Amino acid sequence: MAESETREIATKEKQQLAKPQEQTRPGRYYVPDVNIYEFEDSLKLWADMPGVRDKDVNVTLKDGVLTLVGQVATEMYSGLRPLYTEYNVGNYHREFSLHEDIDESRIKATLRNGVLELELPKKEKAKPRQIEVQGA
Amino acid sequence: MALVRFDAGLDPIGALLGLQDELERFMRNPAFTTGPSGFGAFPPVNIFESPEGALIVAEAPGLDPTKINVTGTAHTLSISGERRFESDGKGRGYHRRELSEGKFSRSIQLPDEYEAGRAEARYEAGLLTIKVPRSEQSRPRQISVQSA
Repeated sequence: MAESETREIATKEKQQLAKPQEQTRPGRYYVPDVNIYEFEDSLKLWADMPGVRDKDVNVTLKDGVLTLVGQVATEMYSGLRPLYTEYNVGNYHREFSLHEDIDESRIKATLRNGVLELELPKKEKAKPRQIEVQGA
Repeated sequence: MALVRFDAGLDPIGALLGLQDELERFMRNPAFTTGPSGFGAFPPVNIFESPEGALIVAEAPGLDPTKINVTGTAHTLSISGERRFESDGKGRGYHRRELSEGKFSRSIQLPDEYEAGRAEARYEAGLLTIKVPRSEQSRPRQISVQSA
């Protein structure tokens, strides 16, 4: 499509997590932007978490609630003095309640270039199945 | 002059809190201009200084590192690239679609004491960091005091 060829990326201001639960770790939390795409037998999720390294990301699925948490690395800022800033730095937190039955044991998570990629395979029984209608 | 209160390594939480406060104080610092493409242009940048020079940290997740273009001339840095998602039409569709894709390009004007032509860039964890050294003339020099 010619239109998509020239489309430019829009800058969105980071959204601060409005009402987080009581936290033991203080500081600002931001809501990572996501794409969620549904396939026949799985869901795929991408979440932007710039500044987070793979050891600092935590994904949990409990009682149908998927929680994504990323802790941002701050060592690189040590000894630097800000001159001008356009965004703040913080950890990421977002939760989703999943309607689909997900097979927890087969969830795959990878972090690549600051994007968390999650593959959430549906449980067998959640897949559509053709039911044979029998005549009388 | 700001005091650098964030000292990572000792206390990661305190370091983050200090960093957040410090960044807040310099948010869109009116005393600093990035030139024609300012706030609102992609990617958003934070600019820091150290004794060696300036450090620009741009939040640009999900890029192919081989397709990021950084050029430096005199005191101006230009960043351009593109973010693309592989499309797979076989699925049922999007439940959420908040990430934007497309091309971007912005330029950043630095004060005269920085030499953008000698900048070094690195892409890691979705952050593009560009180190711009200070020019020789602008570095502090010890002046020896001679006695009569």
